[in-house]
Amino acid sequence: MKQRALWSVVLVAGLALAGCGSASDSDSSPGGSDGKLVVWDWKSGDVSAASYIEKAKADFAKKHSGVTVEFVAQPFEQYYTLLGAAIQAGKGPDVMLFNGGGQIRDRVDALLPLDEYIGDDKQRLAGWEAFTKDSKTYAGPVTLQGHPIYYNKSLYQKAGLDPERPATTWSEFVANCEKIAKATKAKCFAQGNKEGIGIQFFLSGLGSGILSPQEYDDWIAGKRNWNSPAVKRVFALWKEVNDKGLNNEGANSTAMFNDAFAVFQSSKAAHVIGLMSDIGHWKDFAEFLEAGNVGVMKAPVVTAGTTPSLPYDGGIGYAVAKWTKDPKVAADLVRSLTSTEALKAFYADAGAIASDKTIDVSTAGPAVSTIVSDLDGGKPALHVALSSKTIELMGRLSQQLLSGSVTVDKAVEQLAASDQAG
Amino acid sequence: MPVSSSSSVRLAEAGRTDGTASAARAATSRRRPRDGRRAERLAPYVLVAPALLIIVVLRLWPLALGVNFSFTGDGDRNGTSVGFDNYSELLQDPLFRTALRNVGLLVLLLPIAVAIPGLLATFIYLRVPGHRVFRSVYFFPAVLSPVIVGAIFNLLLAFDGPLNTVLGGVGIQPVDWLGNPDVAIFAVVGVHIWATFGMALVVFLAGFATLDAALMDAARVDGASLPQTIWHVIIPGLSRTIQFVFVTTMIGMLTSMFGLLYIMTSGGPEGSTYLPEYYIWFQQGHMNRPALASAASTALFVIMLVVGLLQVSLLRRAGRET
Repeated sequence: MKQRALWSVVLVAGLALAGCGSASDSDSSPGGSDGKLVVWDWKSGDVSAASYIEKAKADFAKKHSGVTVEFVAQPFEQYYTLLGAAIQAGKGPDVMLFNGGGQIRDRVDALLPLDEYIGDDKQRLAGWEAFTKDSKTYAGPVTLQGHPIYYNKSLYQKAGLDPERPATTWSEFVANCEKIAKATKAKCFAQGNKEGIGIQFFLSGLGSGILSPQEYDDWIAGKRNWNSPAVKRVFALWKEVNDKGLNNEGANSTAMFNDAFAVFQSSKAAHVIGLMSDIGHWKDFAEFLEAGNVGVMKAPVVTAGTTPSLPYDGGIGYAVAKWTKDPKVAADLVRSLTSTEALKAFYADAGAIASDKTIDVSTAGPAVSTIVSDLDGGKPALHVALSSKTIELMGRLSQQLLSGSVTVDKAVEQLAASDQAG
Repeated sequence: MPVSSSSSVRLAEAGRTDGTASAARAATSRRRPRDGRRAERLAPYVLVAPALLIIVVLRLWPLALGVNFSFTGDGDRNGTSVGFDNYSELLQDPLFRTALRNVGLLVLLLPIAVAIPGLLATFIYLRVPGHRVFRSVYFFPAVLSPVIVGAIFNLLLAFDGPLNTVLGGVGIQPVDWLGNPDVAIFAVVGVHIWATFGMALVVFLAGFATLDAALMDAARVDGASLPQTIWHVIIPGLSRTIQFVFVTTMIGMLTSMFGLLYIMTSGGPEGSTYLPEYYIWFQQGHMNRPALASAASTALFVIMLVVGLLQVSLLRRAGRET
């Protein structure tokens, strides 16, 4: 027995000393094959994206008729797990879809900077920052992702409020919610924090009404002062909203996708901080509430002197793997996937706010018009600037704040430590 | 009787007088038994070699690679040796500590997970009215996928779901089954037990088939009550079956709860329902930390090894007793 234990110790010590190689393969090996490009995403399987993919393929075929493009649609829940495994093997797809922010920034080691190929698209498309790290751009934006505050105009009407004049200050906003609750029994916010992402929506959706413009810009630039009263106010307000009963009950066990949105769609809540691309947006809501009843408002002013703006970044975008055989051809495919014609189809069928600023949206209804008109004055969303690790911690702490098992000060302290660790 | 070729050769050689043949014969007769013995000695190794090769190449080598990876870094330190850094990070990570605590909780809840199928099997064995229907009803969830089970219970246990509506009907405050960190792990384990006890029930029923009916009759004649019969006759008579169910239920709890966790709580709320395998998946897939995930895998491997060895010794002791 002693002998066996000794051997085990020797083996572990040997492996610990060896500790070489790597879990993720840093050496690139060629992927794809001649005349073929493989694309991974979670969109191409959707019916609403079919015409978008067709248009992009047609555009690419005009430039490279001899190259076959194979789209492999992965389930979104598994997407980054599968992609992580492919990246570690160094044999993943040539082109791949990413969410902007932490998901792509964490994986830029496996990606090719696209700056030399996308010069012509820089002006036409918006949302590049979410796919940029250390001044290098790694993906072409397909959609813009942001967090407008949607409200239910019919509930406003029932409560005797003017649906075209939503509140501009926090106190007015809460007073409106009280009137709506009294008249309709609807809650103020549809909140889903089961996955811990409700806080991301809250931080970005209301942040411009809490942080001063200077603090906002500093936050995005990476100079985040977690001790500032305004930053603490965000998390105190998150707790206060729940404690005052402004959220639907059971926020920690309500999934944002799609339970919280269902609460809003069924008129059980007057407001929801939703999305601009894919789902949980104006088109989904319009199906249930009718387009004319879906309103979009800016964040109410919580801290005097703030200038509320639409928070948005690049939503999803296609990137090129560094192991692809012909980077120019792969980059051309990304350009086709972000061509005006393709994005127009994506906007029309899926309802996403596309990254192409030249697309005409005037016929889509009041909600879209409001969102698009706010784009010019918009700023990057606050949560997108945080690392995946800090975002994950913020999700857990936000649940603790709702259940009362952590104080705002302690939560902010932990977030500051995680943010500073990078 | 036909003359064999070897005997005819021997007869022909017997007529030679030069002595060479007899020397060769002597050498052959000395080599043959030794060759035979060597072939006999090598045969088991040759036969075992393919299986051994598969185990080494597909099991032990990846295992060693995984352990080796756990001593390397992630991100900027990818490919460099970091010693025990990943392990110390694991120990400091509240999520991983919660995952380990939950393993301990599963061990504590194990007797309940075994008692439920045991009791229900006893009732079926004692032929409660409708026992045939109960047998199939109890087994039914065992054929459902954890994803289906999780989705069903997500609906049932929602804050505004039917269970809370029923509780409200009898004047009880609604419970946040999946949103309260003190309740959620019990909700998930409860659903896991509900979904899997059918298999243990079948094992118990098989055990009952081997129970000595004379003992049951004797207990009945002596006027033993149901609890007395269970305690003094059924439990001693089924001791080996109970041990077997303990072992398999524990393995099931440690290795098969990922699907339910993923669907029902995703490790939340507040990370309260994390188990090691969910933690590994999360670090690898979401946080892009393969080396840290390897360290957690190695830790889980050690836990399983300890649990496995305990189980083996338990079974061995039980075998000696009988």
